Amino acid sequence: MKKFKFKFRADITAVTVVVFIVCIVLVAVMLMQFRTVEQTDITEIENMRESELREALVEWKTKYEEVDTQLADVNDKIAEYQKTINGNEESSKLVDEELNESNLLVGKADVYGPGVIVTLTNTNDFQYIAEDLLDLVNELRYAGAEAISINGIRILANTDIVDLFDYSVIGINLQRVQSPYIVKAIGDKDYISSVLNLKGSGFIDRYNKLGRSVSLEEENRVQIPKSNSDFNIEYMQEVTEE
Amino acid sequence: MIFIAIIIGCVIGAIIGVNMPMISYTYSGYLAIAIIAALDSVFGGIASTLNKNFDLKIFVTGFFGNAILSILLTYLGQKLNVDIYLAAIVVFVGRMFNNLAIIRRYYIEKFSKEKQKNKKKEEKKEEKKVEEN
Repeated sequence: MKKFKFKFRADITAVTVVVFIVCIVLVAVMLMQFRTVEQTDITEIENMRESELREALVEWKTKYEEVDTQLADVNDKIAEYQKTINGNEESSKLVDEELNESNLLVGKADVYGPGVIVTLTNTNDFQYIAEDLLDLVNELRYAGAEAISINGIRILANTDIVDLFDYSVIGINLQRVQSPYIVKAIGDKDYISSVLNLKGSGFIDRYNKLGRSVSLEEENRVQIPKSNSDFNIEYMQEVTEE
Repeated sequence: MIFIAIIIGCVIGAIIGVNMPMISYTYSGYLAIAIIAALDSVFGGIASTLNKNFDLKIFVTGFFGNAILSILLTYLGQKLNVDIYLAAIVVFVGRMFNNLAIIRRYYIEKFSKEKQKNKKKEEKKEEKKVEEN
C-alpha cells in the first residue's frame, strides 16, 4: 500500500531512506532493550532500581531496629537475672557464714583454739559438787570463754549441772561425770588464767587457799567436741512487733 | 523498494542491537518509553498512509521528537517524584491502539468490498450463463 500512497505525495527515495533509518534505529534499540531485560532477570540485586533498593533497605533497617531493641530487652533481662543471681549468692554466702557461726556457738561442731584446761580432782577430804563446777563455768564465761566442756561434754546455754544421788555424783545433761573433772575452755588464755588466778576472788586462788586440788594449764590448742544433745524448741516463739 | 529498505534496515538494526553494549537497568526504563513512543509514531505513519495524508516531515519529527520528549518527561517525573512515564505509556499505547484500529478497519473494508465485487461478478456470470443457457 505504501508504494501506492507515496507515489502520490512525497519523494519516494526520501521516504525509503527515512524508513530505512527508522527501521535500523527502532530494531537496534528494541533489541538492546530486550537484552537488558532478559539479563536483568538473571542478575537481581545489582540491577534493581534505586527505589526498590531503597525500599528494601528501609525494610531491612526497620527489621534491624526491631531486632536490635529485642536484643537490648533480652540483654537487660539477662543482666537483671544476673544481678538477682549474684544477690542470691551473696545473701546465701552471708547466711552460710551466719549458720556456721551460730553452729559453732550452739555447739553443733567440734571446735578448737587457744584456751585453758582446769583439772579438779576429788581428795579424801573434799568432794567437788555441782555448785563448784557451776562456779567455775560461770567464771570462765565471765572471762570470755567461747566454748566450754567438762569431761568431754559441751557446756551450752541450756546445759544443766546438778548433783545426783545425794551429792555422790554430778550429772551434766543427765550424764554422770566423775573426778577428775577436766574443764576445757577456749578463749583468750592469758586473760582467762589471770581472771581465775585473781587473788581473793579468782576461782583457783580461792580453792587453792582452801587446800583443794585444782590445776590450770594454758594450751595453744584446746579441742572441744560438739554437743550431743539437741536443742528442741517446743514452747517459745519469736515476738513480732506489728 | 520500500519493502527491501525495511528488510535491510531491520537486519542491520538487529546486528547493531546485538553487538551494542548492555545498558544498565536504571536507564532501561527511559529506553522502553522511547521505544513505545517510536512504535506509536510508526503505527501513526502507517495509519496516515492508509488515510492518504502521510507527511514525511511530521513522521520524522514525531518519531525522534516523541522518543526524546518522552525520555525527558520521564526524567523530569523522576526528579519531581511523579510517575510521568505512566501518562506517556497511557497516551502512546492508547494512540497505538487507535491507529491499529484504523489499519484493521481499512483492511476489513477493503476485504469486504473485494468480496462483494467478486460476488457481483459471480452473480453477473451466473446471470450471463443463465441467459446463455
